[in-house]
Amino acid sequence: MSCIIEARKLCKVYLRGREEIHALKNVDFSIEAGEFVSIIGPSGSGKTALLNLLGCLDTPSSGSLRLNGTEIAGQKERDLVRLRRENIGFVFQQFYLMPTLTARENIELPLLFSKKNRSAKRIDEVLQMVGLADRGDHLPGQLSGGEMQRVAIGRALINDPKIVLADEPTGNLDSATSEMIFGLFSELKKRGLTLVVVTHNLDLARRAEKMYTLRDGRIVGCVERASLDGA
Amino acid sequence: MNFFSLAAKNLQRRKGRTMLTVLGVAIAISVLFSLLALNSGYEKELNKEVNSLGVHILAVPKGCPYEAASLIIHGGVIPKYLSDSDYRNVSTIADVELATPMLMHQFMKKDEKTGVSTPHIIYGINMEETRKLKPWWAVEGRFFSDNETGVMLVGRGLADKENLSVGQVLPVGPKKENFTIVGILDRTGDQDDQFHFFPLKEAQRVFNKQGLITTIAVRVRDVSRIAAVSQEMELIPDIQVVTMTQIMGTIMNLAGSARSLLLTVIAIALIISAFGIINTLLMSVNERTREFGMMKAIGASGLDIARTVLAETVFITLLGGILGTVAAVVGSSIIESFVKGMLPYSPGGSLIFYSPELVGFSLGFSILLGLLCGIYPAFKSSRLTPMEAIRGGVE
Ligand SMILES: Nc1ncnc2c1ncn2[C@@H]1O[C@H](COP(=O)(O)OP(=O)(O)O)[C@@H](O)[C@H]1O
Ligand SMILES: [Mg+2]
Repeated sequence: MSCIIEARKLCKVYLRGREEIHALKNVDFSIEAGEFVSIIGPSGSGKTALLNLLGCLDTPSSGSLRLNGTEIAGQKERDLVRLRRENIGFVFQQFYLMPTLTARENIELPLLFSKKNRSAKRIDEVLQMVGLADRGDHLPGQLSGGEMQRVAIGRALINDPKIVLADEPTGNLDSATSEMIFGLFSELKKRGLTLVVVTHNLDLARRAEKMYTLRDGRIVGCVERASLDGA
Repeated sequence: MNFFSLAAKNLQRRKGRTMLTVLGVAIAISVLFSLLALNSGYEKELNKEVNSLGVHILAVPKGCPYEAASLIIHGGVIPKYLSDSDYRNVSTIADVELATPMLMHQFMKKDEKTGVSTPHIIYGINMEETRKLKPWWAVEGRFFSDNETGVMLVGRGLADKENLSVGQVLPVGPKKENFTIVGILDRTGDQDDQFHFFPLKEAQRVFNKQGLITTIAVRVRDVSRIAAVSQEMELIPDIQVVTMTQIMGTIMNLAGSARSLLLTVIAIALIISAFGIINTLLMSVNERTREFGMMKAIGASGLDIARTVLAETVFITLLGGILGTVAAVVGSSIIESFVKGMLPYSPGGSLIFYSPELVGFSLGFSILLGLLCGIYPAFKSSRLTPMEAIRGGVE
């Protein structure tokens, strides 16, 4: 079985003052390479906590998390950085674009950190893929919300990750634009990427092949779809 | 894209704040640069000035401190005298190419309009020998010969200041004897521009100093013999020997105390601007924790974040350094007149001297300043875990 993500008894405990907050409690699941998975659940249920673990932004409190066969638990920050660079593309609800960089420069930004070289042609391709071929020279302030999120998706793709993680990517967008973003995710899935998308929107979540439901730090449901037939 | 161009773009977000910080650095660097330029210019001018005396050794009365020797160059009176016989003894020393006696007299003259008294200096000289020491002397009118009476030469600076012209007669000395200006010395650019010159005999007679001289200027045949000649001169009982190198050292010391005051000012300016930079950086770093979290999420390491912050700081200080250096060059005349007023002795020529090394140093220093100021904010932001960083801004 080609599981790109494998969680076993995954726990995450945060400390708020003296209080222990069990954000994830014994979470078990696995995601196959090339799968498009969505995660839903009420706010505070641990969705972001889970995504941050998958993105190597944080380490498990206990349990095991394997990414591409590599155990994340107990890794040093330096190795996490490398795992992140090589495997993960991140998309946030608030886009987090650099306001004084053009769309194109924002997309190029991860290359500065990964020290990878990408030809101008490759960057054009990414712009094209996210539907911004004619917006490359615009600053974020000159773009609509949907366009900004597409820049962020382009940025997540430039290092050729295996997995794209999106935390409520349409939370700040209207429904038509949200549709477009999920259309784009379906495109990426067709190109062989693994996608894990957190959302509040049930309609959109159902577009994925598998839909997990989180509640109080536990997975309480998993709905599978036979296939994904277009957008 | 590189860290520097990223820094440049990031700084555009807060243009006003960036420019103010740059300005702070610019001021500090321009003061630093001016002082260093001044320091090297001062030494250079002093050297030139001492060389323009055409003299290697001065003989002054015993008990006369080195400071007095610098007064002699600049003009001033020492209440002690050498005698004509000392002069004759010095002239006979082997390797002395030329020795010439001088008598200096200072008097105060009141300006009729302003009522302010300023010191005036009269030099009694042997014209023939002096012209050998200073072959560049040229004159409007004529030089006097050594046995003439009732004649004088004045420096161009003095003539311009007091509206003196050739042929004019001035009353001199306790008996208000008439002396005719027979020549005005062409501008030399040094202290000679400010003096009156009399035939030595006349100066001695008018001021009642018959047979007395203030100093003997000596030129040695070969510079390597200066030490030997001055040793021999020391043997003459009345004489204290001062070499030009000693005089320069003394003046440099005098100037040193004034310069250390300036240095303190600069140190304070630099510290203030350093705290300004650090404060600005901490502000902008705190505002951007979420952004740093994002950067980590898209593959930045802690070191990358630190580099980003440091690049921004260095960008600010380097820009300030360039601006400050340019401003110092442009405003050098203002700075110069300010500093000339503070120094106990300043040569006539321009004091500020720039070299490419100096420009390099001040730019290098601004980079260093940036690195120093950036270390703490960079360290602080690089230590954020991605989680802290991303959440930090949300709550
Ligand atoms: N860094 C943290 N420190 C303390 N508590 C945290 C931290 N991160 C998350 N939590 C808590 O963990 C729980 C799950 O949070 P989160 O994963 O953000 O939920 P969701 O994304 O599903 O809304 C919440 O109770 C939240 O307050
Ligand atoms: Mg969340």
